[in-house]
Formats: sequence, C-alpha cells, structure tokens
Amino acid sequence: MLYDIRLKITYSYDRPAIAGRHILRLMPADLPGVQRRISGALTIEPNPAERRDMLDFFQNAGVEIAFREAHDEIVFEVKSRVERVAEAPSLDISPPLPQLAREIADYRGLDAQAPHHFLGASPRTAPSSAMTAYAEEAIRPGITAFSAVCAVGEALNRDMTYDPEATDVDTPTEEAFARRHGVCQDFAQIMIACLRGIGIPAGYVSGFLRTNPPPGKPRLEGADAMHAWVRAWCGWQTGWIEYDPTNALIVGADHILIARGRDYGDVSPVKGVLKIAGDQKSEQAVDVLPVPEVVA
Amino acid sequence: MEARNVWKEGPAARLIADYHALPGVPDELLDGNGQIRPVWTRFIEHFARISPDDLALRFGRGEQYLRDAGVFYRQYDPHGSTERGWPMARIPVLIEEAEWNHIAAGLRHRAELLEALAADLYGPNRLVAGGHLPASLIAGSREWLRPLVHVPPRGGNYLHFIAFEIGRGPDGTWWVLGDRTQAPSGAGFALENRVATSRVYSDFFTESHVHRLAGFFRTFRDTLHGLSSGPESRLAILTPGPLNETYFEHAYIARYLGFVLLEGEDLVVEDGRVMVRTVAGLEPVSVLWRRLDSAYADPLELDANSRLGTPGLVSAVRQGSVTLVNALGTGVLETRALLAFMPRISRELLGQPLEMPNIATWWCGQPAERAHVQANLETMMIGPALSTRLPFESDETTVLGRKFHGQAGASVAAWLEKDGADLVGQEAVTLSTTPAYEDGRLVPRPMSLRVYLARTQQGWQVMPGGFARIGRSDDASAIAMQRGGSAADVWIVSDRPVDTETVQGGSGRPYTRPMPAVLPSRAADNLFWLGRYTERAEGALRLMRAYHIRLAETADPDSPLLVHLEEHLKTVGLDAAHCVPAGLLSSLDGAINSAGKVRDQFSTDGWAALADLAKTSRRFSRTLSPGDDTARAMSVLLRKITGFAGLVHENMYRFTGWRFLSIGRSLERSISMASLLSCLADAEAPEGALDLAVEVGDSVMSHRRRYSVFTSRETVLDLLGLDSLNPRSVLYQLTELRNHISFLPNAESHGQLSELSRAVLQVHTSLAVQTPGTLDALMLNVLRAEIEALSDLIGATYIH
Repeated sequence: MLYDIRLKITYSYDRPAIAGRHILRLMPADLPGVQRRISGALTIEPNPAERRDMLDFFQNAGVEIAFREAHDEIVFEVKSRVERVAEAPSLDISPPLPQLAREIADYRGLDAQAPHHFLGASPRTAPSSAMTAYAEEAIRPGITAFSAVCAVGEALNRDMTYDPEATDVDTPTEEAFARRHGVCQDFAQIMIACLRGIGIPAGYVSGFLRTNPPPGKPRLEGADAMHAWVRAWCGWQTGWIEYDPTNALIVGADHILIARGRDYGDVSPVKGVLKIAGDQKSEQAVDVLPVPEVVA
Repeated sequence: MEARNVWKEGPAARLIADYHALPGVPDELLDGNGQIRPVWTRFIEHFARISPDDLALRFGRGEQYLRDAGVFYRQYDPHGSTERGWPMARIPVLIEEAEWNHIAAGLRHRAELLEALAADLYGPNRLVAGGHLPASLIAGSREWLRPLVHVPPRGGNYLHFIAFEIGRGPDGTWWVLGDRTQAPSGAGFALENRVATSRVYSDFFTESHVHRLAGFFRTFRDTLHGLSSGPESRLAILTPGPLNETYFEHAYIARYLGFVLLEGEDLVVEDGRVMVRTVAGLEPVSVLWRRLDSAYADPLELDANSRLGTPGLVSAVRQGSVTLVNALGTGVLETRALLAFMPRISRELLGQPLEMPNIATWWCGQPAERAHVQANLETMMIGPALSTRLPFESDETTVLGRKFHGQAGASVAAWLEKDGADLVGQEAVTLSTTPAYEDGRLVPRPMSLRVYLARTQQGWQVMPGGFARIGRSDDASAIAMQRGGSAADVWIVSDRPVDTETVQGGSGRPYTRPMPAVLPSRAADNLFWLGRYTERAEGALRLMRAYHIRLAETADPDSPLLVHLEEHLKTVGLDAAHCVPAGLLSSLDGAINSAGKVRDQFSTDGWAALADLAKTSRRFSRTLSPGDDTARAMSVLLRKITGFAGLVHENMYRFTGWRFLSIGRSLERSISMASLLSCLADAEAPEGALDLAVEVGDSVMSHRRRYSVFTSRETVLDLLGLDSLNPRSVLYQLTELRNHISFLPNAESHGQLSELSRAVLQVHTSLAVQTPGTLDALMLNVLRAEIEALSDLIGATYIH
C-alpha cells in the first residue's frame, strides 16, 4: 500500500517558553522489507537554533532540536510518502510458551532486536501481579507464544473500553488497567505488561493507522490520529510479530510505523525539557491518505 | 587467642594483656600466633604511654578539628535526614607497606579489568556473545544506559576515579567486597580523617613513616587538567546538591583542589558543548568530575524524572566534547551479580586470573548455582542480583540464609526457583578485626577498607591510605556508617622516611598563576541572598532590641511610640508579640539555606558562625520573656551576627562572589533604612521616634559627635539618609552599591554603561541631590521602590 502522510502538531504556551531542547520521533520509519519511505520532510516553526539527526539505541531515527529564543508556539509538520509492504499472515510455528524462556536465553546478544530488553520492568511499564494473573487467565495451558499474544490481545480488547477522557499521557499502566479504560497508548502498555508477566518479550510501536470513513461519508481531513500498538517476540523462527490491541488485529498494511521501543517513553513523538511558567496546550492533526496505485 | 606479649612489662604490656582476637577471625593487630604484628609495635608503645587525661584531650582535639571544619554527612531515617558529625574512630588501622603493595597490585589489575568490562558492555558485547555473561543481567540493569551504547568516551577511557571495598577473609587474604565505579564517595572524608587523626597523634605521626595522601590528589588533579581541552576550558565537580549525603565532601574536594562546584542547572548544552552559566555569560567546560548518578545527569535522554540533570548532556558526550569522570553508565559495573562472573571475565578479557579474588557470589539464574546456594543457605546472604549496594549495606530485600533455618526448606527452594534470575547468593561476610578504643580499653571490631584509585598518565595509582569502616559490635553487618559504625584513618607504614609533599606541589615546578575561577550564576544568586538575609536579620535584631528596651522602660505596650514602632515592625514582617519573631527566624533560615548551597565559596568559620547564630536564636525563642530579658538576648545575637559579617568582610577574597554578597547587603541595608526613616522621621511620628531611629541606625555616637544639639528631623535625615561618611546612611550604601556594580562583568562595554549601571547611577543621583528639607516620607518610599527594582534588574542581568 502507498500512503501520503501528513502530521501537524502544535504546542502553544500561555507564557513564552524561555528555552527548550527536544527529541522528535515523528517521521515514518524506513524498514527494509516492511516499509519504504519514499519521501519525508519535517518542518519546524520557529526555526530551532540547533537541529541534528540522531539514531537511538532501538535504531529509530530522531531529530534533536534546541530553541534559545523565547517562543509561545511551536509547530511540527511532517509530510511523507510511504510504501507499506503487506505481510501475509504466517503459520504459527512459535514454540509452546514454557519453551520460550530457553529460546530467549539462547539469544546471546544485546542488539536492538534482542528480546532481553523487553522483559521485566521498563520505566513506564512494569509487570504487576494483577496484570500477570489476568494474562494467565486469558491463555490455556500448552498454548504457543504466538497464540498467547493473540489471546491476551483479544481479551484486553474485549474487557477494555476505549475512552479518551479516562487517562492522559502520564497515567500509570497499572492505573489504566485497574479502570479498564484508556486509549491506544494504555491498551498497548497494558498488553506489554501482561505479556512480559507471562514471559513473552514485548515492546511498544508508535505510528499511524489508516482509517476508513463510514460508508457513504467523505473522509474528514485531519481526522486520523497517531496510533500505538505492541510487538512481541515469539521465538527464533517467528521472531517479532506486531499486534494492535485497540482493534484486536494482527498488524498489517493499514499500520504505518514510526518508532519502536520498550514503552511510550522510548518513542514519545515529542520528548522535551522546556522552561515554561504557565500552561501549555497541544493539538495534532493527522491525515493518512491511501494513494491510488496508478499514481505510484 | 591470647596476645603473646613482645613486652614483658610496662604500659604496652598492660594495654595488650586483655586484648583477645576472636576465635577463627583474623586480626589486624595480632597475627595468627597471637603475636603483635611488627607494624603496630611503635604505635602501641606510644599509645600506651599516653595518660587517660591526655588521651581525652587529644581525642577532643581531633573531634574539635572535624567540627570546626564542618565535616558531616547526612544520615537517613524514616523521618527524614539529619546532618551528623563525622564518626572518626580513635585508633588508626596500620598496614605494612609490603602488604599494601600487594593489595595495590591486585586492585590495579582489577581496575584494568573493570575498564575492559565497561568497554565491552558499551561496545562489542563479546562477553554476552560468547556466553560468558547472561544478556538478561545487563539488559535488566537500570545502570546499563542504552543511549550510551556505542558511544566511546572522549579520550578513550571509561574509568578515571574508582574505589574498592575490601576486607580480609578468614584465611588472612584480602577480598574485594564491592566495586565502586558510579561516583565513589569518601576520598574527601579520608583526607579530613587523616588531618584529624594526625592531630590526635601529632607527636608520633611526623616520625611514623606513614605515607601521605596529598601526592595522590595532586597527581589526579594534574591528570584532570591534562584531560581538559585547553587553557580556556574548565574543570568542574558536578554535584547533586546540598541534600546529597556526601555534599560536604563535594564542596571540600572542590575547595581542596580548586575546582568549581556545579549542579546540573548551572550547565547548559549549546551546539554540542557543555557550558557553565556564569555571571560573565556562558563559559565552556570540558571535564566534569561527576558525583551525580548517571541516570540523573540528563532528563532528556536518561531518567526523565530527574530534576538534577542537564538536558543535552548525553548529546554532548556523543559529540565528544566533554569527559565525564567516570563515564556515564559506568554504574553498571557495580551490579552485584557481576561478581559471580568476574573470574571468568578476567580470563576472557585479560587472559589472566583475578589477582585479588572477590567475595564468592552465585547468580541463581543458573540451575547449578541455584542448587549450590540452596545447599549452603547457612553461610549465604541472598539478595537482589541487580542491586549495586555493598554486601554489608544489606537492605530489607537481602536476607541471611541462616534466618531461613528451621523454616520449611521447600519455601526457599520455591523462592529461588521462581525468582532465581533476580537473586544472588553471596558468602556471608566475615571480616578481620582491628583494635577500637572503647571504655578505656582496646577491643577487636570488624572492619573493611575503602581504597581509592585514580587513573594518571602513568596508569592507575592507588591512594596510600583511605578509610576503614569499623563496626560498633562484633557483627560484621554493622560496619555501615548509616548503622552507627565509625571510620578509621588507614596508615600505610614504610620502614623508611616518606615523601611529605602537599597538594600545592613540590618545588622546582614553574609557577603559573591559575585562571580566576568562574562564578556560576546560581552561586552568585545564593551569595546575593546570603547578603540580603543576614542584613535583614541584623536589622530585625536592632529593631527588636529597640522595641524591648522601650518596653522595659515604659512597661506600657500601648504607649504611642511602641504602637508606632509595632506598626513599622509589622510592615517589615515582624510580630512584636513574639520575643523572637518568626520573621527573624525565617531570615536566618534563608541565610543558612543560601550559605548551604555555596559551601565551596566561603570559609567553614563563616558557616559555623551562621549555624551557631540560628541555633542560639531558636533556643532563645523558647525561653525569653518580653522587656529587658529579650533586649539583652538581642544584643547577644547582634554580637554573633556582626561576628559573621566581620569574618566575611575581613577575610573573604575580593572575587566576584564577594561583590554579590556585598551588593545583597548594601541593597538590603539601604532598603531597610529608607523604610525606617519614612516611618520614624515622619512629621506625624510620636515623640521619641527620632531618637529611636538613631539608635536602630546604630548612630548614637555619630549623632552626638556631628550635631551637639537635640535630635531633629533634619539631623536624623541628614545623618541616616544623606551622610556620605556614615556606613548606616542610605546614600553611603547606594555609593557602595554603585561601586560594586561597576566591578561586575560587562558593567560597561565600549564606554557604554550597562542598563544596570545606568539604573544604579540614576537612583544614587536622585538621592544625592536631596537635602534634609526635601527628603520626606513619600520620597523615601519612592526611593525604596527604586532600590527594590535594582534587585530585580541584578537578577535579570546576572542570574537569568
């Protein structure tokens, strides 16, 4: 699938921000065999005093910027054309869950893809006895790792209510789980904690999701949003798979990737340290427009 | 074991007669046969000859030194934290040079190993790839910092200053108990401990052939200078700030070595370079001796919750513009579970076995090791595998396997089975004993040594000494100072005379005048407020004294004068109903708080004077009664506060920091005098107000000398408002202010006055052209507001 992606994020401050330093992870990723970035441009208003490209530990492309002058608004705008390669759903060749630990231990490496980073607690997502018990409830004995991922994802999709009012970006995973309410970030982080609790390495993916307008209605501009889902390591043969608990589906050609990490903290689109006195507001508008194949 | 006496009789024989080493435990004073180790002989003879009275005097001298030097550390308990005096042990630990050389060689080897390990963990990860180290241990560590992976440190080295905790095991050989690579503390304490101990044994020490510590510090300082990127770039110590348990030490080392002491907020990263915010603008820094844990150093790329860090520091490291001592991320080397793998790591990375073994450790993530721990519970401590604490700093989560004895063995097995990957078993610490002086006699107490190593151009150097933690009981787990242990000086004794150089450096070196130190804006801010608060407190004391003298005279709080004065007290935040008003105490707290943040900037005497003042005021606040009692107490406090002012203004080096302190003082004094005059020299003020003003203005003598007439509005306004020779007058203080400001950086550029210089000139002039006849309450109030505005402008210009 070919997409034109537009993203615009606006931050406005009650009182001018004095200075700030940010790391941006906003650009669709270029991942051989998964997703090809044909073009991509990031514009920033006002123009930052410093701007530098970086590659983080998980191999995500980031942009480090710094402002020195006082400013009361920042606008980030991304325009990109991306080709997403649809992967055919594969046969489940993952090991039974109890054998996964052995396969993890056999992975002798600490590279970005190593499963070891994605077990146990990460800064924003730690397994808890409640979430582990929930995950154990969702799976049956002898289940494969891959089926376990799907089972936990489906259970969460069934039991959680999508509710933008219930949580904010800093709501702890455990709290969102206790309320069984939240948005895609909460769905993803809860599922990560559940999977880690039963020994499946799990991480966080940020990106975009193509949405289809209701039948007969036109697509509203800017109506899409940034999205988040889960990746899980299901053994040597299967490797990493991606699952979207908000929509209970295995990730396919409708999902466009930006960045991967252990939890939201590793991939947050605009991470920053800013000196501000008053309140701040942010708005985002996202368009994911499928491009008819003939144009390509 | 009985001490077999080398002395047949005499004081030493009597002293040693009832010293018994514990069964099966090696002792520093006595060897395996109960013989006095030769290195101790002369010291024990000396010690035994000191009379009990003299001994008490000597110990007092040592403790007095530590108190005067303000040596303290912060102790934590469930209710918060308190500053505690340094618990100096009275008897040093003596170690023979030859044995020490053996220890030093083992530790240098280990330092090389840790450097190689850091390079592997942040580089190719050969150990993990080769199956020598479980990947999960590293990936699970909070101290393995992913943003630093594949970021080689500037200059190539991860480690520059490290410490080892070592102890002597049951077989008499030395063991490493823990590696300290994050930001090892205590080297400054070791120095102070040395000074205090050498005062106790001053007559013995000079002839004792004990290796000095200064050379170690001098070499390390020179090495750090060598790491800086040029003469215009600076070295600094990066501290988490005054609430850290060892902040005193950070300030002490900064003063001792002449480095700037900085907090994260003093730094800013621009274009990949680390800069200090100073009163003269941004100044580059290229070497930071980091006393702050890595994770807190950069909220942007490391712990986002840190309030102590500098955004962009990791980026600067990545761009190779700054050396951190030690590199960010080196805390991972302190991980307990790594001790289990060190013998193997040594063979893999260096091709050699460990020269000094470390405490036996088993990671319970492996079946065989788990079984071993399970089978040997009696002698095991079981605790978190990823903890970076030392074995004896056991926390709630570390348990002695022995405690499980009698419980169902199955529960331990289940625990180890379930959480094995998160647990290590470590052989319960058995430590050698060393003599401690308790209740007039020597008793054996467990001890461990902290030894410091610094990387120099000639390789790793070992500090010849350090400090020993001494337990307060037989229990080896009680040697941690947080649990009441004490710290002994460690004497490495040579059989030849030793080099007695100081940190200043030997003769024969060419003298180069060092660059004047930069003044961080934060330090300037604190000095400015220290000046303002102490002056505010002094003003409050004078007002309160005057009030209570009048009260004692009239015994009528409703007399017009007292009511008028009470009104004035209220406007400056003082409640006359309290003998020591809360407003006064809060000014003193403000002064202490500001001073506490810049301990590296002024003398410990000044600090002690201030602390004494605050303590006495609090004591008074509980006991005083109104009238004469309080008036006299205020006089006592006034003498103390002028003592502090004298110390500061007589002795403080005239650097820019002193200017900020003085500016704060002048500003506060001119504000309070303007406000006093507008109240007491007002045409409507009751009788006696003018004399009161002269008294509060501490100008009774001057008034008598200048005007041999009764006080009038004119004489008072002239003397306290406009007299350019009276240090209490508003005009005098504005002249001071103008003068100090003219010395600040950028007060003038290309012949053009700065905005601040212009503003202070304007205020000064507007007062200078007045006469006593034109200076009325309204004008004084306007003047006060203008001076307040200067305070804001100083902040905006220099503090940011």
